[in-house]
Amino acid sequence: MRHEARVFRSLADETRLSMLCLLMQHEELCVCDFMEVLEITQSKASRHLRYLYNAGWVHDRREGLKMKYRLGVPPGLMGEKPLHLLSEIMTSHPEAQALRGKLTRWLENKPPSKGQKQEVRPAMRAGA
Amino acid sequence: MKNEARLFKSLGDETRLRILWLLMQKEELCVCDIMGVLGITQSKASRHLRYLFHLGWVTDRRDGLWMNYRISVAPGSQQDRQLRLLGEFFQDHPEARSLKEKLEKWMAAKELSGQKAGGTDGEIRCSCN
Repeated sequence: MRHEARVFRSLADETRLSMLCLLMQHEELCVCDFMEVLEITQSKASRHLRYLYNAGWVHDRREGLKMKYRLGVPPGLMGEKPLHLLSEIMTSHPEAQALRGKLTRWLENKPPSKGQKQEVRPAMRAGA
Repeated sequence: MKNEARLFKSLGDETRLRILWLLMQKEELCVCDIMGVLGITQSKASRHLRYLFHLGWVTDRRDGLWMNYRISVAPGSQQDRQLRLLGEFFQDHPEARSLKEKLEKWMAAKELSGQKAGGTDGEIRCSCN
């Protein structure tokens, strides 16, 4: 049960829980989105994202200089149910709702990144 | 989300996960059952049980010299959801399954020998009933 204990430890941090909460609202986010919405430094954002990655909660994808993250399910868990439970744990939280509002505002006003083709973000579905 | 993080932290330990898993199988367990099935010392079992008690996962009931514990999570609460997440993890987990079987054997042996139950290994003696 070492693996499971590790997976739970990966959730034992406010920043990491907030990150998962944001990914439940928006399918894919880049490090800068987390930095902006959570008001944290790049090093802190990347550190926690790597932690979540190692525990299996997120997948990453490189796009140019940027790393993009989306939700995954840790090995040993299958299907949608774990994410659904986790989402239930977070959605009821007032803090989570505030974060979601902040993310929406940030994405609406996000300046197009330099040195990249103007990226038109499709309005992605909010998590169920 | 400080509270949620704190609750998840309490699940971030193998022994505590095993203890909760055992308690999820039965209505109530005595410290000696947990010691016997997990093969851990009383001090270790009690330490983790107290930790779980202080975070509200379990309640206790004294019975003579022994303490009995049961899950005390309100249905629909955050902790209830976290326990369901734990249940999801252990649904098809080989170690969880073998612990469950070990617990069944332990309880059967305990019932059989009435006053003094010997552990399945014969190492741990329980005199709680």
